[in-house]
Amino acid sequence: MSEEDLIRPAGSRSEGSVPESAQRILELADDELILGWRNSEWTGIAPFLEEDVAFSSIAQTEIGHARAWYELAARQTERGGVDADALAFDRDPDEYRCAPFVETRLVPDWARTIARHWLYETADAIRIEALKASGDPEVAGLAEKIDREETYHRMHADMWADRLRDEARFRGAVDELWPSALGLLEPGQRDRLCEIVGREPVEANERGEHTEELRPLWEEMTMVRRSVPGASW
Amino acid sequence: MLTTVRLEDTEFEAYVQAGGAVETGDAMPDDYRSALIKFIEMHGNSELMGVLPEREWILRAPTLQRKLALTAKVQDEVGHSQLIYRVVEDLGKPREACLDDLVAGKTKFHNVFHYPTKTWGDVAVIAWLVDAAAIISQKALLKCSYAPYARIMKKICWEESFHILHGRDCILALMTGTDEQRELVQEAVTRWWGPLMQFHGNPIAAEDDPMYRWRIKSQANEDARQQFLDGYVPQIWELGLTVPDPKLRKRDDGVWEYSEPDWDELKHVVTGHGPKTEERLGFRRWSREETAWVRSAVLADAA
Repeated sequence: MSEEDLIRPAGSRSEGSVPESAQRILELADDELILGWRNSEWTGIAPFLEEDVAFSSIAQTEIGHARAWYELAARQTERGGVDADALAFDRDPDEYRCAPFVETRLVPDWARTIARHWLYETADAIRIEALKASGDPEVAGLAEKIDREETYHRMHADMWADRLRDEARFRGAVDELWPSALGLLEPGQRDRLCEIVGREPVEANERGEHTEELRPLWEEMTMVRRSVPGASW
Repeated sequence: MLTTVRLEDTEFEAYVQAGGAVETGDAMPDDYRSALIKFIEMHGNSELMGVLPEREWILRAPTLQRKLALTAKVQDEVGHSQLIYRVVEDLGKPREACLDDLVAGKTKFHNVFHYPTKTWGDVAVIAWLVDAAAIISQKALLKCSYAPYARIMKKICWEESFHILHGRDCILALMTGTDEQRELVQEAVTRWWGPLMQFHGNPIAAEDDPMYRWRIKSQANEDARQQFLDGYVPQIWELGLTVPDPKLRKRDDGVWEYSEPDWDELKHVVTGHGPKTEERLGFRRWSREETAWVRSAVLADAA
């Protein structure tokens, strides 16, 4: 991404100057940012105080990972001048590369929240494993670090999925979210996900088109920042 | 019988006044136990209700760093309520009963959490000044006669002091920013000054306050307010902000003079008639109802 691209208002930038590797990193960063944002909607209202604390903690780790990926993407752009905050907040909603899976608002539905949490963490583990073998040492190193933290998210997600496995509403939620969950991964990684969660492949809800929920989310996420353009906060 | 009880109460009062600590399993007068439950439960409620004015701004935080910091701060507050309700639980009132009473409007929470957070300036002022006012009360509770409560206050105070640093950092970023940003802070200080001055309560004489006689509290309300003014008004002025009280000044003897806070407003607000009371309790009722099935499922598993 060039400096010129960044000083133009959001929405008028082309993605042409962003290298393909940085685009792939932005997918990861955007997934983590938007899911972290959705998870932080549970702050203060989870079914147990302990879960409130847990979801806040998970949301923080996800936002932290998003920041690390954005920083890496910023370093890999053509010139300096773009930082993690600019990538996280100053793009037009259409420029985000997150999967539809992470965009949906699920509060106060704990069954769907746990279904997404479990499917996301399981799929993310597959993705991170592949990134750890990346030829780019920065990507591999960061994936290694992130994987250590994600271990705890997986333990939390597995515990809850196990606890709710006999609940009809949880099973229904997994059915409903399954095509979107597949869309999180590259086609070649999907068989592995089917194998781990014990489900048949279906047509995936692919990355590329956004749900109607992304724009209102973006409006809220950037409202303070847009209120005084260019200011430091 | 009555005489005996009174004698025991007097002995108990002398014991705690002499610095004696009370543990969960110790014998204690019923009045002391119920006063503790009421006081500590309100503290737990306040931590939990204090989450709501800030949670919506987690979603609007203008940078990744601010979003992380605010999420961590709010998470601390939920963690505090968890710790505090555990103390209440050991005294005989289960957490679920505390939450039921809270959403039913039967118990109270601090005045400042009944007001709206209108801008990012409010978020900064809450983290800086509301938390500063709160830490003054909480530090005084480190000397509480009920030892389990005093012990958790160490962790709480330690974390709250970080919140103040976070708040001050948000304030400084705004005050060194644009005119619009400075205006956000000034408007927020003006909005929050009244509730802040009411925060520590009426200047009730310590000897008339049973909480003081039992050494549940060990600081008079007015002492807490003076400490707040002395610690923060100079900082507010130094930043070029104005406090909306023309009478506010520090006398030569070190005592701060100020306009009489609106005690009717305080009473009105904490008895459940604040501008956001019903909406926030309603929100909590709604989320509690929506997630009731989860608690049933988990508790059935545990049974």
